[in-house]
Amino acid sequence: MSAELKRARNRQMVIFLLVCIAMLGLLGRLYYWQVLQSQSGYHLAQMADAEHIQNQILNAPRGLIYDVQGHILATNVVRDDVYIEPIQFGVDHPDSDSFQADLQRQAHALHQILPDVGEDELIKDFTSGRAAVRIAGPIDPSQSQQLREMHLPDIFLEPRTWRIYPGGELAAQVLGYVQDGQGVYGIEGKYNTLLAGKPGSFTAETDLNGNPLTVGASSGQQAIPGADITLTIDSSIQYLVQTALADTVKAQGAQSGTVVVVNVHTGAIVAMAGAPTFDPNQYGNYASQKGCLGREDVYFSPALYCDYEPGSTMKAVTMAAALDQGLITPNTAIQDPGYVTFNDASLVTNWDNKGYGTETMTQVLEHSANVGAAIVAHTILGPERYYPYLARFGFGQRTNIADPESAGNYRTNQSAGWSPTDLTRQAFGQAIVATPLQVAMAYQAIANGGVMMQPYVVAGINDNGHVTSIQPTVERRVISEQAAHQLVGMLVYAAVDGDARPAVFPGYSIAAKTGTATTQGISDDQTEASVAGFLPASNPQFVILVKIDRPQSIFGSTAAAPLWKTIAQQLMWHYSIAPDQP
Amino acid sequence: MNNLKDRIGASDMSLLKPMMVAKRRRMYPLFFHMGPVALCITSVLLIALMAVLYLSQLGQAVSANQQLQDIHAQQATLQRQNQDLMDIIAQEQSPAYIADNAKKLGLVPAEPRLVQVVPVPNLRPIQDNSHIQP
Repeated sequence: MSAELKRARNRQMVIFLLVCIAMLGLLGRLYYWQVLQSQSGYHLAQMADAEHIQNQILNAPRGLIYDVQGHILATNVVRDDVYIEPIQFGVDHPDSDSFQADLQRQAHALHQILPDVGEDELIKDFTSGRAAVRIAGPIDPSQSQQLREMHLPDIFLEPRTWRIYPGGELAAQVLGYVQDGQGVYGIEGKYNTLLAGKPGSFTAETDLNGNPLTVGASSGQQAIPGADITLTIDSSIQYLVQTALADTVKAQGAQSGTVVVVNVHTGAIVAMAGAPTFDPNQYGNYASQKGCLGREDVYFSPALYCDYEPGSTMKAVTMAAALDQGLITPNTAIQDPGYVTFNDASLVTNWDNKGYGTETMTQVLEHSANVGAAIVAHTILGPERYYPYLARFGFGQRTNIADPESAGNYRTNQSAGWSPTDLTRQAFGQAIVATPLQVAMAYQAIANGGVMMQPYVVAGINDNGHVTSIQPTVERRVISEQAAHQLVGMLVYAAVDGDARPAVFPGYSIAAKTGTATTQGISDDQTEASVAGFLPASNPQFVILVKIDRPQSIFGSTAAAPLWKTIAQQLMWHYSIAPDQP
Repeated sequence: MNNLKDRIGASDMSLLKPMMVAKRRRMYPLFFHMGPVALCITSVLLIALMAVLYLSQLGQAVSANQQLQDIHAQQATLQRQNQDLMDIIAQEQSPAYIADNAKKLGLVPAEPRLVQVVPVPNLRPIQDNSHIQP
């Protein structure tokens, strides 16, 4: 090879080596950016993914709530919130003259569709210098449609799901409400996990507009809708009870009131109402309102939480305990001079200070005589034979049908600070607190041949096709069938010849007892007037408890009995129950 | 190792060429000789054709994606409408709505005390399951 060729070859080799070095350098930088910096340092891979991969949470639709006839009590709707983009509006209108003119036009156009939002307010929002401002929401579907058709610039609609209660105040304290996606109070609160379902997720590559690409990679998990719940509440009866209760509370000048209607044979709650109540569609407006004699928020169900001293309605429980143990019969007689003294307990007098002379147990209920009840509890039963019956009748125990719920309270001979005076007073419903539902369930046991059923308000659950029906469940046998039958007879007389007479109406036999409870330390004309009973007495179908708090006409017979009668009549009519006294 | 040219000789190669071409044609019927320029142009054309086919497929996929998005949007709209209609039905089935509208029509609530019950001896009632209690 000639020297010239050799030199040429050497030059080629040098250039080749230089090119190789340059390529290696480039490869090195490529490795640095493509591998090292993508996973750490600048996290380039993550930044790239953030640009074109979208992670979306799929909200699960909340389950619906139905009444026993399948009418919707709670459902979901989507309503739009209206947002404006002030910064973008400024960018789109750089010229100050066109900005002012377009701003006026925009504000006027929006005000035409959203009359609740003033034009001045809109102009102020548009000049706020913020990226996005919510100006209205939720708006009606018609307003959403109008805004879409107008294609106004720098305005967008953000859909949001809302919980709606089409019945308004109907069964509000049973249902509760939903706040920020969480159920609060009532069924919404107790069954929140079931109703809420499970959110899903969706990850996909997106296009320029943020729409997922079918050709791109995607993965996700479907949202699981919440379960639908059917209640035992009958909307028609619930409405009737609520309106009649509200009218009675108003007419009586009372502070509050409660009604419970229970199916005797199953324990299903047909209606449960309180006054005052609230509209769950606007629950925020009721935050300062109180129910239950001003003690609790209006959101609480008074039937479950507003415990009270039941008064003379407890005399039926006292008689039940003694009848069941064969210690008395309906015709067992005592002497009632209008008062009774005990060696170890305070004096007990009749509420009307009257003496009735020789008085049968049936007449004790007719006269609502405290003396007779105290003698039965203190002298005939004694604490060892009386208190187990209070427990068997469910007093002092929660029913767990919804939250929040009070257990009630009473002292027994095992409690600190108990004295026999407690026993004598508990016999006629003082010195014991119980919820209206507890008192109603005690009467349910009496009406059902001595068998107490477990109260329930949820009839069935449909969890995405998996249906669970709640069957009536026997809680326990409280008293014998014979004792129950005897007591029913006594309560019929108490209704016909006693203070519950205003609750009687033609065609149907009723078994009922009034109660007029006073509270220690409070004036005796501040009472809790109640009636507890069931009908038809010959074949009981429904238990009704009515309680009116601090009525002007203070007695159960005058304040609560007329409402009890109204509800009873409507029940018989609504369910086509034939009269047993035609 | 000697190649065919060295073994056979250059003059003999020219005689063997048609035979070799014929033999190649029998073995590789679709084989044809292409010069470097023709090969480049053909490669470019083939790549362009594949690109056109790929873009066509991609365009169809994007179009299908857009249709899918439109259908999803329609579905969401219809679901909203369905919920709104269910809400309206529920409101109109509520006792308060029925009572209000009944009053507007001039109807008055019935008084149960005015209902007269007529006892019919030996009458067998037809079972009414519409108010079955749980």
